[in-house]
Amino acid sequence: MGGKLISLRETLLTIAATRRRAMGQILLLSAGFLVLVAISALSVVLVTQSRKDNGWVVHTVEVENQLNALLLEIRQAESATRGYLLTTDPQFLADYKSVSRSIVPDLDKLASLSLDNPVQIENIRQLQGPVESRLDEFAKAIELATRHDIPGGVAMLHESGAEDSVRRIDDVAGAMRAEENQLFAQRTHTADRTQQLASIVTVVGSGLVVTLAAISIFLVRRSSRARDDAEAQLRDNNLNLEATVDERTADLREANNEIQRFAYIVSHDLRSPLVNIMGFTSELEELRGDIFRRIAALAHTSDSAPLVPAGGGDVELPLDGKDKQLSQDFTEALGFIKSSIGKMDRLITAILNLTREGRREFQPVKIDTRELIEGIVATMAHQAAEAEAQIRIEPLPNLVSDRLAMEQIFGNLIDNALKYLKPGVPGDIAIRARTKLGFAIFEVADNGRGIDPKDHQRIFDLFRRAGTQDKAGQGIGLAHVRALVRRLGGTMSVASELNTGSTFTITLPIAWAASNRNRDTMRKGDT
Amino acid sequence: MTKPVTIIMIEDDEGHARLIERNIRRSGVNNEILPFTNGTAAVNHLFGSDGTGVNHKDQALLILLDLNLPDMTGIDILRRVKENKYLKCAPVVVLTTTDDAQEIKRCYELGCNVYITKPVNYESFANAIRQLGLFFSVIQVPQAAP
Repeated sequence: MGGKLISLRETLLTIAATRRRAMGQILLLSAGFLVLVAISALSVVLVTQSRKDNGWVVHTVEVENQLNALLLEIRQAESATRGYLLTTDPQFLADYKSVSRSIVPDLDKLASLSLDNPVQIENIRQLQGPVESRLDEFAKAIELATRHDIPGGVAMLHESGAEDSVRRIDDVAGAMRAEENQLFAQRTHTADRTQQLASIVTVVGSGLVVTLAAISIFLVRRSSRARDDAEAQLRDNNLNLEATVDERTADLREANNEIQRFAYIVSHDLRSPLVNIMGFTSELEELRGDIFRRIAALAHTSDSAPLVPAGGGDVELPLDGKDKQLSQDFTEALGFIKSSIGKMDRLITAILNLTREGRREFQPVKIDTRELIEGIVATMAHQAAEAEAQIRIEPLPNLVSDRLAMEQIFGNLIDNALKYLKPGVPGDIAIRARTKLGFAIFEVADNGRGIDPKDHQRIFDLFRRAGTQDKAGQGIGLAHVRALVRRLGGTMSVASELNTGSTFTITLPIAWAASNRNRDTMRKGDT
Repeated sequence: MTKPVTIIMIEDDEGHARLIERNIRRSGVNNEILPFTNGTAAVNHLFGSDGTGVNHKDQALLILLDLNLPDMTGIDILRRVKENKYLKCAPVVVLTTTDDAQEIKRCYELGCNVYITKPVNYESFANAIRQLGLFFSVIQVPQAAP
């Protein structure tokens, strides 16, 4: 038994552990999922950031390119102007025209590119003046040249102000380039850092995911191993269970038979000495008669001799004081012995009958319950009339059960109800029933003297009785009834208060089939 | 005319034996009563040393048998008596405390002639034995086979 209990507890522990493990796995998976989501989100953010950073770097390069292009155009315009002035080749004039047309838009474009940077806006604003004045100079020089005033045009280019514009353009362009260079360095650095961060996040995240996966795999393997173990154990247990149940049933059956045999043999063997005790007590009683007759005769002889010959032993002679007392004591003692023997005999007979009942095989038959109870009531009509009691039989369901057992059950209960009525109060005994879930619930209710609640258990015990002991009985009826009800697969209970009557409730299966218990009984008596 | 009937009383309880004998005598039966207190001694006497029972070939017997014996059950003795060709005609009276219906049936099936339950109540007991004594005085017991 102990081993089984322990293995049961182990199973319970295993179940708890499994549940815990499953929870752990769910948590682990959620953690892994969360990490993945976090990494993805961070990656997206970082990639976007990186793209933006790169965009800024490209932007810086663009601004620088634009600036360089602008400066180049200015130089080209200057060279074209100079070339025209020197050669008046219309090719230079065409060059100049195409370049000078694109300078202003390029400057605007530069301005629009650098809108994000206040420093560059200021620089471009400063650039605008000199560039325009320079373009002016070029235009004037070209105009002078077209009018064949070449020296005027040359002088125009070398005007005092021209030197200043060129210097300012160079300065501003230098400042702008420096600014853009600085921005470029800064933005490149930022972009690098963002990319680094992104790679770190990716690496760490991947590491975390791999770790979680590893833990998860470990847990899954462990739990599947535990499950395999549990399954193996379960298989073993299942195999053992049936064998164990059979074993226990056989043990119980054996024990039950043992008890029955024991009760039977003991009551038999107790009876033999009882026959002797009773027999020789009766013999003693005979002897007592002889002895006291003799004493009386002797006493008489010594008192008055003449009486003796007449009839000696045949005539009852009165005893005198002391002898009479002795004779009475003798009778009393013998009386106690005999009444005790009688009681003991009744108890032994009762046990014998009970064991005999226990051995009887029950036969399930269809029973017309009402007819059965009416039959019982008819046999008790005399007692009922004596007790001025009426017995009401309400509609009763029919059953499949053992007829004799049913007769004994209701016979005992109705007999008890009649026996323990309140003196002086007309008895009212009701037998009613209802059905519920395949069971018939019978009630035998009386308005008798009732049973103290503290005795409710006791009345079902063998040889135990409760209340005023003014009726003959051995204390067997209810014990017997309960044993019968149990063998018929039912239960029995009592509801009662002192002086308000008792209600015995019996629940019996409506269709009782002879169960295994029937086979527990012994085939034959051994004596 | 013939040999008087011998009563063989197989009863392990000496008190019972005494009470039975006393009451039989009171009913006026004066036949010889051979008491045995255990099965083995009774069987030895009944069937002799060779186990055939030939010793009692010419004897009229009446067997009073208790079923609860210390060394064997009275039923075994009953069966052997009824299976023995020299003894099977001897009337067997089972006198025991057992009143189990099955037991009674079995005894009659095996060929017992009378089955009496010993009542604890002495009046009834004495009465039963005396009537048995009266019965003994009137029944005819088969004489030895020719």
